[in-house]
Amino acid sequence: MGSNISSLIEVVEKGDGSAAEALFAALYSELRRVARRELARQGSSVSLSATTLLHEAYLDIASQNGTPSFPDRGHFMSYAARVMRGLIIDHARKGQAQKRGGQFEITALSTDVGESVADHRELERIGAALDELTKTDASLAEIVDMKFFCGFSFAEIAELRGISERTVQRKWEKARIYLHHNIRTQL
Amino acid sequence: MSTIRPDQWESVSPYLDQALTLSEDARAAWLASLREQNRELADCLETLLAEHRELANKGFLERPPLVITSEPPLAGQKLGAYTLTSPIGYGGMGSVWLAERSDGRFQRRAAVKFLNVALAGRGGEQRFKREGSFLARLAHPNIAGLIDAGVSSEAQPYLILEHVEGEHIDRYCDERRLDIRARLRLFLDVLAAVAHAHANLIVHRDLKPSNVLVSNDGQVKLLDFGIAKLLETEQPTTATMLTQEGGGALTPAYAAPEQVKGEPVTTATDVYALGVLLYALLTGLHPAGARTRSAAELVKAILETEPQRASDAVKPANEEAEAVTSIATKRATTADKLARLLRGDLDTIISKALKKNPQERYTSVTAFADDIRRYLAHEPISARPDTFLYRTRKFVRRHWLPVAAAALVIATLSVSLFQVNRERVIAERRFTQLRQLSNRIFDFDKAINNLPGSTDARQKLVAVSLEYLEGLASDARSDLDLTREVAEGYWRIARVQGVPVDLNLGEPAKAEASLKKADELLEAVLTSRPTDHLALFRSAIVARDRMILAQEAHQYADAVTFAHKAAGRMDRFLLRGDASTSERSDAAGLYGNVAQALINMHLYGEAVPHARRTVELARSLPSGQYRAAQGLSLLANALRYQGDLEGALQSIQEARKIAEEAVYENEISRLLNIYGVLLRQGLILGDDDGVNLNRPAEAIESLQRAFDMVEEAARKDPNDAATRTRVGNSGTILGNILRHRDPQRALAVYDTAIRRLGEIRNSVPARLDQAMALANSSYPLLSLHRGSEAKQRIVQAVAILKQTKDYPPESVKLDSAVYIVSCADADYEAKEGDVHRAVQMYEQLLAVVMVAKPEPLNDMWDAPRMSHLYENLAALYRRSGEADKADGMQQKRLELWRQWEQKLPDNAFVRRQLEAAALPQLIANN
Repeated sequence: MGSNISSLIEVVEKGDGSAAEALFAALYSELRRVARRELARQGSSVSLSATTLLHEAYLDIASQNGTPSFPDRGHFMSYAARVMRGLIIDHARKGQAQKRGGQFEITALSTDVGESVADHRELERIGAALDELTKTDASLAEIVDMKFFCGFSFAEIAELRGISERTVQRKWEKARIYLHHNIRTQL
Repeated sequence: MSTIRPDQWESVSPYLDQALTLSEDARAAWLASLREQNRELADCLETLLAEHRELANKGFLERPPLVITSEPPLAGQKLGAYTLTSPIGYGGMGSVWLAERSDGRFQRRAAVKFLNVALAGRGGEQRFKREGSFLARLAHPNIAGLIDAGVSSEAQPYLILEHVEGEHIDRYCDERRLDIRARLRLFLDVLAAVAHAHANLIVHRDLKPSNVLVSNDGQVKLLDFGIAKLLETEQPTTATMLTQEGGGALTPAYAAPEQVKGEPVTTATDVYALGVLLYALLTGLHPAGARTRSAAELVKAILETEPQRASDAVKPANEEAEAVTSIATKRATTADKLARLLRGDLDTIISKALKKNPQERYTSVTAFADDIRRYLAHEPISARPDTFLYRTRKFVRRHWLPVAAAALVIATLSVSLFQVNRERVIAERRFTQLRQLSNRIFDFDKAINNLPGSTDARQKLVAVSLEYLEGLASDARSDLDLTREVAEGYWRIARVQGVPVDLNLGEPAKAEASLKKADELLEAVLTSRPTDHLALFRSAIVARDRMILAQEAHQYADAVTFAHKAAGRMDRFLLRGDASTSERSDAAGLYGNVAQALINMHLYGEAVPHARRTVELARSLPSGQYRAAQGLSLLANALRYQGDLEGALQSIQEARKIAEEAVYENEISRLLNIYGVLLRQGLILGDDDGVNLNRPAEAIESLQRAFDMVEEAARKDPNDAATRTRVGNSGTILGNILRHRDPQRALAVYDTAIRRLGEIRNSVPARLDQAMALANSSYPLLSLHRGSEAKQRIVQAVAILKQTKDYPPESVKLDSAVYIVSCADADYEAKEGDVHRAVQMYEQLLAVVMVAKPEPLNDMWDAPRMSHLYENLAALYRRSGEADKADGMQQKRLELWRQWEQKLPDNAFVRRQLEAAALPQLIANN
């Protein structure tokens, strides 16, 4: 599984767009697997952040792959964050997950204060706007995936992307403007 | 301002970068100066920056949308027909839940195993389900059945398994202080189960005490058959043992050297694990020694260290005296006696199973079991003790070339077999080679199964195996053991070639040739050893297989001969009194096959004792309910056509009770069994135009249930052709009764039947069934005064028969589609068209029916149909003013039932027919 993902990343990095779908599918199930394992390991009623999940998944893949330097952590995280976005939106779309199968739950944070971001329609709109943004400026969309969907800090993103923290912040604000504007004008 | 277009964004983006680095105050001045150069751009930026303030205030995108928590609200969740109730345990593979099935009247428990594996996309899911359904067919009283395999909506694969309550076999034995012989007898049940799985090309791969449970009543149940394989493709097999040990994926303590090395797993791998299990059961110790070891040490021992002899391991000198005494006590003996018991044959048997080299182990689980049976019977065992040299020599690690491609596998096989042939080494060597052949067939079958075009490879495998067997058969005559093995080989090959009980190559003629050879060889063995256990058993099975093939080939005389031979041989085999549970289970099946074949050939009286035998045997088996139900159902059918309708009803009601209460290996067999008994019960109660009890209302109730069951199944699985055939059959039978009372409802049922049969592609039988249903549906349409639609359907039915070249007919059987369609056509003509034309049509039909030589005077199946034909023709003659001919027909009908009355005096059905036949005359006379 792990070496499969890293070889897929390699292929995608070489510009083979057709492998991207396979990579996303593999990451999707890998993230679920790791989530289940981590939750089982920690016992009942714990919560797991998306960030922890991605770190664990990376450790798995890197250790199975044998070469510690590959896949590059930053590359892995940007693909995995993209997949995480899909996972969360899918989940929100499905509604309350209790009705469904599986060993773990992705539940919405309490949203009694302010605007409910867990509303699946809003998440879907964000997702759609992000897809547009990817075409326009992929690096901005990537940061939204990592920050908003996966909960990485600016410092972590800066390290992973190899850019300064200030740049990350600026890109984040720009992305927010883009998304907010496009979502609002679509309403 | 509308949505930002990419080109707009491109121009605006660098300015936004600038603006965001500026303070709020500085921004205003910066914007003002920009506005002088580019008003449009500045306006756009101003809007966006205002929006930025707004979104910052409301914290847009600042809260993570979701967190992942582990509140597993699995209880109450439904997987198929099962509802999860409570968790039973968590393991390396995943979690296990108890589940209950409730469909109204009765409840069943099952264990649901969620597997912690990632399935790579759709392909992985499909493969998982496919493998699962393959395993679900593995039915054996000592194997916990896999009921279903699937993938939950959260993409997690799960297995629904028969729920077994019992203890691990080692604990069971210890707690009950079973002695060595009792342990061996229990172990034989384990071997029988594994042998059955191997015969179905399934290797367990993870046999260990926790997978071998014994229930309170002493019944062995093996768990998790084939599941290791199910998981394998998702996790790399090589180099996994050590890394995955922590995860508990496999159990190194019971792993064979080839598993540790990541080499191909075969049936010999299970033989090894069974060897470890036997060692543990007899000595309470692990063959690698008692001391706890790290996984690495264990792996080294598995690969390199010859296990200590079982008898030496329990010597007080080698272990702590106290521990050894405790071990012996649990075996109802003393330490000294235990060591003495184990020394010799048992040491040899265990050592043979634990050989590092798979080829040196017992070549099959059956051979392993044979030796244990011989030991228990105080007969000499087949395994030879190791030489001193062998034991002192350090095991040399071998490096096998992993053989991946089927072509290479086949080539290897051919070469080794040809070498053996050319060398013509001593008989014993050949014997060993031959025994390995069946094992090899498993390996190769496994290797080639997943390859595209594996049929070619299988054919080649068969060809090579046959060539080899032929070489041996010619000079095996002097050696009866070898002859028996060669016969076994031919039988196996026949199964691959084309006995329609397994997946096969579809070459029945070749299969029959192989079976004939097997038969001849077994006859030779039985001439010298008339009561040989294996030869008698196999001879019965071979005769049964030949019976099935003869029937398929319409060679009925041969089929009857083989039916009697199969039953006769099985009788003799059972007289020996040493049949195992699985052999008795096979025997029950065989008698059922024989009864079915005899019924198919309308030899009802001969079928009865065999059907009774099935019931009797099945009732004595631990999980024989469904077989018993099948046997009772066969018995009901045979009795029915003997005219014993009350007896038939009693049997079928008993069958229904058992079928509804039985625990099934899987959903499909549950559905099939219950459907089967409901259908038959309906026929006995009120089959239109058949032998029945004249209780149509109850018949309709029963048939409606059968019909609804299969219709629901057909709705669920759009590709299931067999279920569609059943919807067609039960719908037609139901419609035929309903149409006399409720034409509207009958029409709806026929229409469903027609539609479902139409969904079966490329099948001549389905087309014929459809023609039959179409023709039958013309009757309710006529009752509803929808004559033109009725005609349309008859025309459609005839068109189908023309396509299948069944029309116009030269000879017509009373149960054929062409008979039903011709009747409907003539009846339509009689009602809506010209009576004289209808008479002509019926006369023609009668003529072609007579060509097929029906036997209404001897065969209860033909009698009511023939009677009906006479009746219809008589009525038409009367309408067309031909009173003499009408009387003649009536007379024929009356005579038919008079003769039956002599044969079956006081039979209610016959009496009813006789009265009905006499009625027109009574009316005429009064």
